[in-house]
Amino acid sequence: MQFTVENRPDFAEVQGVGRLNMVSAPKLREVIAGVVAGGRTHVVVNLGGTDFMDSSGLGALIGCLKLARQAGGDLRIANVQPQVRMVLELTNMNRVLTPYDSAEAAFSPRGDSRD
Amino acid sequence: MTDVLAEVSRSGPATAETVDALHDDLDRLWAAADFVPDLDRMAFATAVIEAASNVVQHAVPSRESVQLGVDISVRPHRLHARILEIGAAPASVELAGEHGDDEEAESGRGLALIRALVSTVTFERRGADNVWVLWRDAPGATS
Repeated sequence: MQFTVENRPDFAEVQGVGRLNMVSAPKLREVIAGVVAGGRTHVVVNLGGTDFMDSSGLGALIGCLKLARQAGGDLRIANVQPQVRMVLELTNMNRVLTPYDSAEAAFSPRGDSRD
Repeated sequence: MTDVLAEVSRSGPATAETVDALHDDLDRLWAAADFVPDLDRMAFATAVIEAASNVVQHAVPSRESVQLGVDISVRPHRLHARILEIGAAPASVELAGEHGDDEEAESGRGLALIRALVSTVTFERRGADNVWVLWRDAPGATS
């Protein structure tokens, strides 16, 4: 899985392309820990290119969410694909990691853009 | 004997790399069995990867190392997987229990996810190996 980080005015956008599984989950933690340590505590993980996520990947997202919140920020997910949505719903973690339509909508001041 | 419409197999060391290769095997399987509905593919593939990842993370070798052996088949109206922990010490897997409600837990959701994704899952000792068997009823899976 390949990760890229883009600094937007209001948040850092992390894009992951590939499978978020036991191989790539530690890399995601590392990337986001770096982003948060660099002072960007509002993070959007754009999952538009993530076609698979298992419980290891989900665990990594939860760990990153805690990290961002501990630093005074937040982590949100956007652009989720059907398999990722299925895993979030079956584990009820969509209550904690609510999918947003787009990275821009995730920290929109209107806050009503959840899909 | 139930008709097998398509199948793939993999064996290798119980490592993350073998699980990654299993993803590619599943993609090949669905290419060969394109009549299997998307939802069934997605659910079953997720359950198989969860079980294989569980082997990599938790199986304890009885002697030197654990080998992962996976046979997956598409049968009329059903998807089937047998996942072998070859050379693993006897173990028990809690397939009936409930996952706790700790929303902040970073692990421990894999077994609950498998149960939610398949019709039947069993884990038992056979000879020197532990064996997972996963079935998913897939009424639309017919060529």
